Amino acid sequence: MRSEPRLAHFAVLAALALTVLPLFLQLPPWVPLLFALQLGGRAWLAWQGRQLPHRVWLLLAMIVPVLLLWLSLRTLVGREGGVALLLLLTGFKAFETVTLRDWRVLLGLGFFLAATPLLFDQSLPSALWLLLSLFVLTWAMVLLAGGDSAASPRAAAQALLYAMPLMLLLFVAMPRLPGPLWSMPTTDQRATSGLSDSMAPGSIGQMIPSQEPAFTAQFRGRQPAREQLYWRVMVFDRFDGARWTAGSVPDSAAALASGAAGELSYSITATPFKGALPVLEHAVWAGEGVQQGTAQLVRRIDARNEARLRYDMRSVAQAAYPATLSAEQRAHYLQLPAANLRTRQQGEFFARQFRDETGRLAALSAWLQQQGLRYTLSPPLLQGDVVDDFLFSSRQGFCEHFASAFATLARAAGLPARIVVGFQGGEFNAGGQFWLVRSSDAHAWTEVWLQGRWQRVDPTALVAPSRIVSEVGELVPEAQAVLPVLGRRPPQWWHTVHAQWQRAGFVWQQWVVDYDARRQQSLFQRLGLGRVGVGSVMTILLLGGVLLVLPLLLWLLWRRPPVRSYPVRGWQLLVSRLQEAGVAAQASDTPAQLRDKATVLAAVQQQQLTRLLADWQQWRYAEGATDSDPRWRGWWWQVRRFRPPRLAAKKRTGR
Amino acid sequence: MQSISFAYRQLNALILGKPLQIRLALTCMLAGGHLLIEDVPGVGKTTLAHGLAGVLGLDYRRVQFTSDLLPADMLGVSLFRPDEGRFEFQPGPVFSQLLLADEINRASPKVQSALLEAMEERQVSIDGQTHALPKPFFVIATQNPDGQLGTFPLPESQLDRFLMRISLGYPSPESERALLLAGDRRQALSALPAALQAGELLALQQKAAKVSASSALADYVLALLLASRKRELFVHGLSPRAGLAILAAARAWAMLDGRDHVLPEDVKAVFVVVCAHRLQSRLPGMSSIDAAQRLLDHVPLA
Repeated sequence: MRSEPRLAHFAVLAALALTVLPLFLQLPPWVPLLFALQLGGRAWLAWQGRQLPHRVWLLLAMIVPVLLLWLSLRTLVGREGGVALLLLLTGFKAFETVTLRDWRVLLGLGFFLAATPLLFDQSLPSALWLLLSLFVLTWAMVLLAGGDSAASPRAAAQALLYAMPLMLLLFVAMPRLPGPLWSMPTTDQRATSGLSDSMAPGSIGQMIPSQEPAFTAQFRGRQPAREQLYWRVMVFDRFDGARWTAGSVPDSAAALASGAAGELSYSITATPFKGALPVLEHAVWAGEGVQQGTAQLVRRIDARNEARLRYDMRSVAQAAYPATLSAEQRAHYLQLPAANLRTRQQGEFFARQFRDETGRLAALSAWLQQQGLRYTLSPPLLQGDVVDDFLFSSRQGFCEHFASAFATLARAAGLPARIVVGFQGGEFNAGGQFWLVRSSDAHAWTEVWLQGRWQRVDPTALVAPSRIVSEVGELVPEAQAVLPVLGRRPPQWWHTVHAQWQRAGFVWQQWVVDYDARRQQSLFQRLGLGRVGVGSVMTILLLGGVLLVLPLLLWLLWRRPPVRSYPVRGWQLLVSRLQEAGVAAQASDTPAQLRDKATVLAAVQQQQLTRLLADWQQWRYAEGATDSDPRWRGWWWQVRRFRPPRLAAKKRTGR
Repeated sequence: MQSISFAYRQLNALILGKPLQIRLALTCMLAGGHLLIEDVPGVGKTTLAHGLAGVLGLDYRRVQFTSDLLPADMLGVSLFRPDEGRFEFQPGPVFSQLLLADEINRASPKVQSALLEAMEERQVSIDGQTHALPKPFFVIATQNPDGQLGTFPLPESQLDRFLMRISLGYPSPESERALLLAGDRRQALSALPAALQAGELLALQQKAAKVSASSALADYVLALLLASRKRELFVHGLSPRAGLAILAAARAWAMLDGRDHVLPEDVKAVFVVVCAHRLQSRLPGMSSIDAAQRLLDHVPLA
């Protein structure tokens, strides 16, 4: 049995709702909620068989949500604004969807909407959701085309499967622009990596470890040891007594380090944080898309671009820098505000006691270890001179506290010092052979200028060495991943599944999301195509498309008997034309019944219809009638041209 | 053809307000089929049968079926003639051009099956001798609706010997008023002039059988048959014999319309009366007539 049209209409509405579900996470919640209400309202009208509201009402009803949208986002363009507006307008479109053609337009909008969640998130779950959306939309399309309702899921899956090769071809060969295709303004700048552009340890009462992945790194050849993994992102060198920020003194040691021992070659996939990207210490070579900046930091070349990026780096364990510290720079790195007097006295004491800088640093470290400091993620809040309060009173803190205190001490002791903020360690995924670094791996440590170079001193490692060798999760119970439902330590299989899922996400990122113009060119070269320009790719695609579609077309033409099916298809078309005009026509009606039902049409259309029906009946059922009569072709074209206008709602005889 | 429309008008004057049923009955006769009229007593079944015999110029016998009726009572017996020294066949009421089998479901299954055999074979075999029935030969059987006491319902396998099953139903108030005023219809019956000459009916039957049905029409009938077998609406689908019956009835209906070819609307006009008694509805609370109508409403013409 052919599916009932109303069923197909419900299917279209349901598919639309399903498609935009991920937008709940991205837009102000009332926008998707209103969209769902709109779809529900339209479905209710269809269920009750009621008339749709007049266009004037629709226009009036549109004002309030669009105004609300403007008030909440302050824009109607850009990523959030544009998608939200599109969603609302689609919802209103549903209320002027009557004919089959309207429903098809609505479904087409659904296919477009299905892509919008990708503007916010291109991870594997989003892609899987898109696949589900495509299936449901195609299913609705099959139902809308009057497909058999029982066989429709199969037909939809088949159609998608047939489209798959073309999809793959387009993905691989479609020319990609270097850089992002569009740069959409976004309304919020969320720091997703657990970093911020300043550091004030005294103000944080509890640090909640976030399990959100920050970036991934993959090493070629030599694998690093965990304690070697200090990922630098930012350097803070200005201290106002409570807060560390990045100063603006140029570092003369901006050049790349040189050195060969124990070179590590690796690629990182990360989202830039204000242009800054993670890099291992002592970078000796930077790949395309990034540049080495001051203080051994790496920045994205187009710093305003906040999109996720994959870049290649090489670092060495030990390196020599051809640099000295100028007097001005030395003064900058020794700057201290007039606060934290006890700490400063302590530092000055060491400066007097140890003339040798190396010895002084060792004594500072030894002193720090003896202070009975405790590592915790929920330290008490600090008051007054925060460094004094921490070192001599609370003695509890995490890496930021340690780094801040140590840098203050070192500066007071006459050693130029600064704080490096980034990540430490990571989780090695053995299946995917990559390191996953999470927000909870965020770390802060200090660097001290000693013997003509910056040397890393990690006070956290001095006080709580296990923090560096193991993961945070193993050290601090709160940070452990907890199954949300069970509320206890996850079993082993959970770890396995989790690792596999991360691996899949990594592969997805590496091979799909990061497939950019550069990788495309290298793929073409590996395939022996050489450097292929945009023009030639388009030509190949066009030609390939024609070559692909041509046999299909020929097969379709060959499969269809030439004239025979005209009366049958024409009859169905004629009936659907009448239905679209609002006549309660059915394919099971006789010509005479159709004529009777069509008396609501205008006289001209009635005449046309009468002639079409008379010819159909005569050529089909009179003695000697055959479906291969050559006149059928002309009749078919007349039916195609027969388009009675839609009846006004009052005169309509049925739905 | 003029004679047929004259017959039609005569019958309409006899039985008031039932033009569709009369036309269907005529169609059944022209298609050479037997007719089953199912209705409560007293709505004019016998009058219709009698009237048909009268206007078509057929000789007419009526048998009231009872539970003690024997096959011989209907078919006839071989009597021994002592003076001639041989058996002589004494034909029963079945040897008439139009047999009215009144209340067929009151007779025993034995009698029913004897009659239905005669209807199918159009001949009767008694004591090893075969006696051909007259031409044309029609049976108009009446039966009371199911559920009445003391009846033997006809089995489905035998019901399909009847080309059509119609029911007259109560007349409309205007018709009934006219009937009350006009008095007994039996009088009108005897005054009914024959509209057809002897042999004319046979010629019309032959003409009806020649009404052309295009391949597209055959496709439509086929689609109906196939749809009936989908086991959604009915316990069993329509048989090929039912398909032939639809086509024969549609041809006669088209001829009554003055056409030389069958249209889908002819098929639709006869479909329910030809098929409803051959089908059993699968859906509770839905009669086979409703289900057949539903089938018609769902099968597209093309």
